[in-house]
Amino acid sequence: MAVTTSPTSPERRIILVGNPNVGKSVLFNALTGAYTTVSNYPGTSVEISRGHAELGGGRYAILDTPGMYSLLPITEEERVAREILLKEQHHLIIHVIDARNLERMLPMTLQLIEGGLPVMLVVNILDESERLGMTIDIALLQEKLGVPVIGAATTRKRGLKEIREAIVGFDGQRRAVFGYASDLERDILKVGSLLHGDYALHPRALALLLLQRDEEVARLVAVTEGGGYAAIEAAVNAVVFERRSDLHLRISLERKRVCRGILEGVIQQEVRSGIPFGERLSGWMMNPWTGFPILLVALYFGLYKFVGGFGAGTIVDLLEGTLFEEIINPWAIAQADQLIPWYWLHELLVGEYGVFTLGVRYAVALVLPIVGTFFLAFSVIEDTGYFPRLAMLVDRIFKKIGLNGRAVIPMVLGFGCDTMATMVTRTLETVRERIIATVLLALAIPCSAQLGVILGLLSGVPGALMVWTAAMLVIFLVIGFLAARVVPGEQPMFYMEIPPLRLPQLSNVLVKTLTRMQWYFLEIFPLFIIASVILWAGKLTGALAGMVNLMRPVMDLLGLPSEAAAAFIFGFFRRDFGAAGLYDLQTAGLLSPVQLTVAAVTLTLFVPCVAQFLMMKKERGWKVSLGIFGFVSLLAFSSGWALNLLLLATGVLS
Amino acid sequence: MNCGFCGKQIPTEVVKHGCGGCPMAGGCRKICCPHCGYENPAPPKFLQRWLKPSAAPREDDPA
Repeated sequence: MAVTTSPTSPERRIILVGNPNVGKSVLFNALTGAYTTVSNYPGTSVEISRGHAELGGGRYAILDTPGMYSLLPITEEERVAREILLKEQHHLIIHVIDARNLERMLPMTLQLIEGGLPVMLVVNILDESERLGMTIDIALLQEKLGVPVIGAATTRKRGLKEIREAIVGFDGQRRAVFGYASDLERDILKVGSLLHGDYALHPRALALLLLQRDEEVARLVAVTEGGGYAAIEAAVNAVVFERRSDLHLRISLERKRVCRGILEGVIQQEVRSGIPFGERLSGWMMNPWTGFPILLVALYFGLYKFVGGFGAGTIVDLLEGTLFEEIINPWAIAQADQLIPWYWLHELLVGEYGVFTLGVRYAVALVLPIVGTFFLAFSVIEDTGYFPRLAMLVDRIFKKIGLNGRAVIPMVLGFGCDTMATMVTRTLETVRERIIATVLLALAIPCSAQLGVILGLLSGVPGALMVWTAAMLVIFLVIGFLAARVVPGEQPMFYMEIPPLRLPQLSNVLVKTLTRMQWYFLEIFPLFIIASVILWAGKLTGALAGMVNLMRPVMDLLGLPSEAAAAFIFGFFRRDFGAAGLYDLQTAGLLSPVQLTVAAVTLTLFVPCVAQFLMMKKERGWKVSLGIFGFVSLLAFSSGWALNLLLLATGVLS
Repeated sequence: MNCGFCGKQIPTEVVKHGCGGCPMAGGCRKICCPHCGYENPAPPKFLQRWLKPSAAPREDDPA
């Protein structure tokens, strides 16, 4: 290995690596004492700590790297940490891991060992793992890994003496080899045997990184191998083509399998009351038989009762019905009657579409309490760690609609704001997934305020919410299913590590809720004011009446009164503005239960708001976004028309 | 700061300066997790002090 320092060098370098929050810095401080320097790694803004230690009469340079989860980097910190491993001379690499999460962190130890690096493993936070009833057989783990393993609890100074002794007596010659499945071994050999240059990592580890499409490693190999790189690239491409998209997943799963084998007999879990409740609950959340009932319970209490009942019901009644309609608006109108003689200005401020009577009222009294309660419920669920489990739960269903569990991220975010969620679709692996997710977001995922208003309105009509939910679910699945067949492309695999389930922290939940409320309010408030000004101008010029007349035949087809056209025109500006328009129609008693349900379904499906459309154009281009716009509009009105006929024919809700 | 979805730590640089490379960069008040792409809310300064250091990470931070 080209960058390994000689045991006889005057100063040997030790590099500390590991996940964030495993106690690397505590170990660094314990080894180096007070004399350390912190500087940016050359060419980056990532800070690196350096210090020295005198151990067993020898002087060692100690380097603390930024947290990294794997040798395959994603963040700049991980890139820097790997570059240090690849370029800095080293006598020893100390990998620090959390004793409570051995199975999650050991794959990186394997990567370091198969990279041919001189590794010592420190199993830290042993005090906490023991408190949880875990006993770790350090000697057995050392025997299986073939590298020195030290148990420690560095915050309690436990294991520091043993770590110092192990550093002094370190012998980098001992090394174990771990075998993967035979087909994967063949692929590794095919690529690895073509690597002839002098590298800091063993060809086996380099071959795996090349197969995982690591661009930096590919560049390094291209420079080192020169003319021989073409054959390596061809071998990598052939394997990737043969194994298709599951190669990355395959390597991760194989490494997990090897780790499970290594940990067999290493960890003894004290039987207190069987498996901890948190782990059992986590399993139930991902099991389809128990996961969907749990999801329904979360939706019933979190969305229906809390957002729909309390937010859109109790608080909106208080703010909109009592505070604005009975106190603030009459006062504002009376003041305007006295002080403003000009009709146009009177209308602009306190008229039917007045800035105050419509814009401010919608934003403050209708939308804010709804998104506030929604974001509170959302933050509680998010802080428990439920969302990754939801991703695992729906993975199989999502595969039927051309997506996978990863698409839960934009879908869940879409309930907050569809515009931002449309942007997040870029994190999906393939163009096909991005298009399908964009269509479904534009079509069947209502944003928080729209959802809250609809829940509040429909919960007052027996059966209406059930019909709306069923309609949304059927359309989401049918359109997704059809889109998966129409849009060509590959179906990538989904794999993610599940973080621990935990009790939500009150401070975290409140901060996240208030942050999201602030963001939402600052975004919608000016837009609501602008929308009311446009509507006011439309009313004065007669353009609004013209548009309502233009939409009258469509409203007739849906069985809706012509006044409902205004809500659809509002919906052009923002989804939540349209839903608020529906709220006004319902409180004015203009809609029957069938009409309310048809309007709610059509308005939910109806075209995305202006901001979401612009984001779609930005992400997918004019052609795709206009196609989605036309398709969604047509489907919304056809679905509304069909639902109206169905409800009238069956007598449901009549 | 730890991601609300995957639980992994989001690098300080991303938290401070946004993820970049998107049309809303810098103005969206969101922090996009580089590991999974989830949008985390970026708390304004007056709320940041309420995020207890011990509560922010998913795993206990012994450092």
